[in-house]
This record gives sequence, C-alpha cells and structure tokens, in this order.
Amino acid sequence: MDADWTLIGNLFLRDLGYWWLIIPSILLGYIVGAIPGFSAANTIIILLPITFAMKPEMALVFMVALYCSSRMGAGIPAILVNIPGTAGAAATPLDGYPMVQQGRGNQALAISFTSSVIGGLITTVVALAIMPWLGEVTQIMHSVEMIVVMLFGISLIATIASKDPLKGLIAGFFGLMLGAIGADVVYSTPRGTFGLLELYDGVPLIPALVGLFAVSEAFLMIEGESILTRRGMELMKEAGWRETWEGVTITLQRWWHVVWTSIIGLIIGVVPGAGAGIAAFVAYQQSKTYSKTPEKYGTGHPEGLIAPESANNGVTSGTLVPMLVIGVPGGATAAIMMVVMQYHGVILGPALFIRNPEYAFAPFVTSLVTYMLMLLTVLPLARYMSKVTVVSTVYMAPVVIAFTLVGSFVPRDYLFDMGLALIFGVIGYVARKTGYHTAAILIGVLLGPLLENYFLRALRISEGDITVLFSSTVGNVLWVLLVISVATPYLIDWRRRAQAAA
Amino acid sequence: MSDKTTSASGKKPSVGGEMIIPAAGILFTLYYFSTILDSPWTAQVNAFFVGSILIALSLLLIGLRVRAVMRREAVVSFTELAKPAALVPKRLALLALAIGYIFIIQWAGFTLTTFLFLACAMTVLSSGRRLGLNVLLAAVFALSGWMLFVVAFGTRFPAGPFEALMAQVM
Repeated sequence: MDADWTLIGNLFLRDLGYWWLIIPSILLGYIVGAIPGFSAANTIIILLPITFAMKPEMALVFMVALYCSSRMGAGIPAILVNIPGTAGAAATPLDGYPMVQQGRGNQALAISFTSSVIGGLITTVVALAIMPWLGEVTQIMHSVEMIVVMLFGISLIATIASKDPLKGLIAGFFGLMLGAIGADVVYSTPRGTFGLLELYDGVPLIPALVGLFAVSEAFLMIEGESILTRRGMELMKEAGWRETWEGVTITLQRWWHVVWTSIIGLIIGVVPGAGAGIAAFVAYQQSKTYSKTPEKYGTGHPEGLIAPESANNGVTSGTLVPMLVIGVPGGATAAIMMVVMQYHGVILGPALFIRNPEYAFAPFVTSLVTYMLMLLTVLPLARYMSKVTVVSTVYMAPVVIAFTLVGSFVPRDYLFDMGLALIFGVIGYVARKTGYHTAAILIGVLLGPLLENYFLRALRISEGDITVLFSSTVGNVLWVLLVISVATPYLIDWRRRAQAAA
Repeated sequence: MSDKTTSASGKKPSVGGEMIIPAAGILFTLYYFSTILDSPWTAQVNAFFVGSILIALSLLLIGLRVRAVMRREAVVSFTELAKPAALVPKRLALLALAIGYIFIIQWAGFTLTTFLFLACAMTVLSSGRRLGLNVLLAAVFALSGWMLFVVAFGTRFPAGPFEALMAQVM
C-alpha cells in the first residue's frame, strides 16, 4: 500500500493530458456546487450513462474533477449572497458574507479559492503519502470518538454565542430539538413529526439550509437597494485585479492556518459519514479558539473564511481514503464513484493496491491536477463573479427565493420540502431580526441527529453503560482536547482582563 | 444582511420579538415530549436531555425579559420584527407570492410558475416601476432555469403547460 512515486508521476502526466475533460468538469462542478440541492453526487447520478460509456480512467477523472470543483463552487454563493450551496459551505458565510457587505467580495472569493486549492493540494499530497495510516484512522474512530468530534462542532454554538450567550445557546438547542424530529434509530418510533410522513427520515438538510440562510436573507436584503453598505458599494465599483491579488496574498501569508485547518478536514473526512459540514464547523471553531484576534471572527475576518474553506476541501481527499483502502465510501459522492468503478470491473478495497495500483492512486493524482487547473480557471473569474453583489435587491431577492426553493425540491423530489424551506425561512427571519444566530440553529439541525445516532450506538454496544464514553484511549485524548479547546478562550480572556487590571 | 439584535425602540428596548424563538422552542419541545411519552428509552433519552435544557434556557430568558418589563426598563412590543414599517406590505406580498409559488407550481409547472413569481415579485419590490424590464428579466431567468434544471440536468420538477409544449416541440 506504500506510494509508488514512479506510478504517481506517470498518472500525473496522464491526467494533465485529460485537461480537455477536467476543465469542463470543473466548470460543471462550480455550477452544481453553487446551486443548493444540487451536488456532485446528484450530477454523477444524472450523468451515469456517460460515465458507464467512458473508459474507466476517464470516468474516474471526470468524477473526481467534478467532486473537487463542486466543493469550491458551494462557497461562491455562500460568500456573495449568504447562501451556502451545500452543508459543507455552511460555515463559509460567517466571515465571507460580512467581507462582501464591506465591498471586499473580490478579495473574499480570492481567499476562498486560494485556501480551497491549497487546502485541497496539501491534503491530497498528505493522503497520497500516508494513506495506509489514514486508513487506520477509519478503524480507530468508533462511535465514542465520533461523539467527541461532534461535540467539537457543537461547541461552536457557544463560540458563536459569545456576544449573547443565552440567545446563542437557545438557538443552538432549538436547532438540536428540530434536528431530533423523525423516527428514532432503534425502533423507528416517530417523534415530533406532526404526523407528516415526509419528516419520518428527519428534517432534510437542504430545505433547512435554504430557509435559514437564503430565504431569510431575501426577506432582509430588500431593506436596502443592494446587499452592500454604501462604502462597500464604492469599494466594489473600484475593485479589480488588485483586490484579487490581495486575497491571494492574504491567504499565502496565513499558509500555516490553511495547512492545519485542511488537515482537520482530511482527518474528519476519512471517517465514513462524518462529512464536510462537521469539518467546516470544527475547523472554524478551532481557528477562532486559537486565534490571537478571536473578537474579529464574524466581522469579515480572513482567517474565519480560510478555516472552513480549507477544511471542506480537505474532506474531499479524506472521503476517498476509506473508499480505496477498505472499500467503504466516506460520503455520498464517494459511494457513487465506487458504483461506477465496480461497473467497470474495478473492485475497491485492500486488494486494489495489488491488483490495480493505477486506480488506487489515480483519484488523488486527479485531485492534484484538478486543484492546479481550478486555480487557473477560477481566480480570473473572481472580479466578475463578485459584481453580482451590486445587483439591485429588487431583482436579487425574488431570484434567490425562486431558485433556492426549487433547489430544496431536488434532493427528494418532494414539494413538501419547498414549504419546509419557507417555514425555515420564517424561523430564520424572526431569529435574525431578534438577535439569534441562524448558524447556531443550523449546527443543531446538522449535528444533532448524528450525535444522537453515535450516542445510541455507543450505549447499545455497552448495554446502557454511560462510562463507555470514557472507555477508549483515543476517545479520552479527544475529550481532553475538547475540554482544552472549550476552556482556552475563557482562560485567554481571563488572563487579558487580569493583565489589563494589573 | 447580518444578524440584527433587538435595539432600543424609542427610549426603552423592545423585548417582545426576542421571546418568539424561546416560546416556539418551549411549545415545540412540549409537543415533542408528548409524542415520545410511551416510546422506548432509546427514543426518549436525547430529546429529554436536549429539550429540558432548551426549556430551562428559554424560561430563563423569558423571566429576565419579564423582569425588565416589570421594572419598566423595557417594553413588550414586536415592532423590531416589522422594521422598517414602510416595507411591511412588500414583505408580506413577497411571502404571499412565495406561498403561492409553492402551491401553483404543481399545476402550472416549474417554468411558468417561476416566470409569474419573478415578474410579480420584481414588480411589487420595484413599486410597479420598470414593468417591461421586470417581465423580460423574469422570462430570461425562468427560461434559463428550465434549460439548466429540466433540459440539462433532467430534474423532475413539476411539469405544466410549458414543459408539455416543449416536450412536443423537442
């Protein structure tokens, strides 16, 4: 399973030759990533006949390029209009959107693109180099360890709530209760579903995301001529290549920040079922915790944008690891890739490295080439994409409502989900008008059901013994790190006050 | 727009609006509890834990706000929700149009409903000005959406007269 660098070099040259396939796939990925409800997984399903007709290595190149670029595409509307295309981009607007309102949309996009590409490149190289050890992460991260990882993400609620802790916690726990809607995982008892069959599987994530962010945003944005502040409008009209380059420079100056937040994404991505949403929130929380300027987070701070964007691209590499090493897909897109490869007679799993080593390393090499081509294709677009923010809200608000509502229909083909998105929109509007953070509600909806699943699984294995939560060495190390991570901001704050008072 | 906090309404802060989310949280949690009373413990444990904390936090906030009102430090009012007041009719019209969009799309189909929604919403928000431009933009967006979602991605949006006609033509 050790990396064969000659083979990897040959694969790299081969993939460069596929630029004509990778570039259109990248552009398609930007589009499907940017529209809520659409995703790389949906798109590959739609285009399955094409992937079946392609040669296996071409199908793999197409799927990996689409996968990588859709992750970046999801960040574009999250930054420009506060609408995350996927759950993985849900932490992106926390600092990306305030930058846009200040007229720094061009710079924000450049930061997002650069940190996504560098994060993706780094994690791809790391994954290639240490794939066997990463494969072992899949083996040691059981339900107990995952409970602690979830709590890392959920503790962001407290971080977000720093301005008004009581309201922040209420928003977070309200989200956790909404996330608990649906049949329980053991006996399928319907809970809090209002008798609606559509809610038996729980609250679907895309309608919640669309409602809390996009629909509520549309109802609020009509308060102004544009989503920009007056000063922001002036800056945006003058924005050009200089701002794009500034964004690149800002990211490069924080290269270490990109490295460690993308590694968080890689490690979380390796765990099957964890997902980019968790990784982005955990990375944001960690970034703020260990920042020298935590008070700047949420106001348009570059590091608050770098962290989630690097992390969610790290997840892309991470989800491929268990698929290749143990034959268990790390996420929906990886699962569909696996089906396509099996159709072509390529069986993924430990034997892959002996039987078809070219397919074992190919996804990472393709990721590498894709990220390099992405930077070349997307950076020049930043200054043009950011101009969307000067469009009058008279036109923007209706378009946002119409296209995000239909986006919420796509994952399940239920009209019910459009209504649900509108209900979440009203909740989001009330929350934002009265000082509750919609991101805290979303964290609850996103992580609540996962936490419950892992918690119940741990309790079932231990036959109801709660001490199972402290039964593993890795888990205990994570518990200690969690306590340190939660306590650190308070300790730093306490020390600063003590120093100021002295 | 960024999250807004309840600010001073006149001389005293208004606290009515910020009690809506806690009140909704309490009501929903009580309803949720009522659906799991006879369920096995595995279905209850998470909800009782999370729900109890939510109720406690919500009651604490409501209690603090009620105390502020009783001390005449704040007033109960929901004006923060409707600010700016001049936009209330437009906002309600936009909400009504969005509700209408969801109901009509199942009969009129994606393209026609999207066109009607966009044209009406843009006209409402622009106070009836630039009608021609609004209709033109609505048509462009609706047709672009149809080409992208229905033709290119094959999304199974509800079909209506327009989709049926285009299916015949294509």
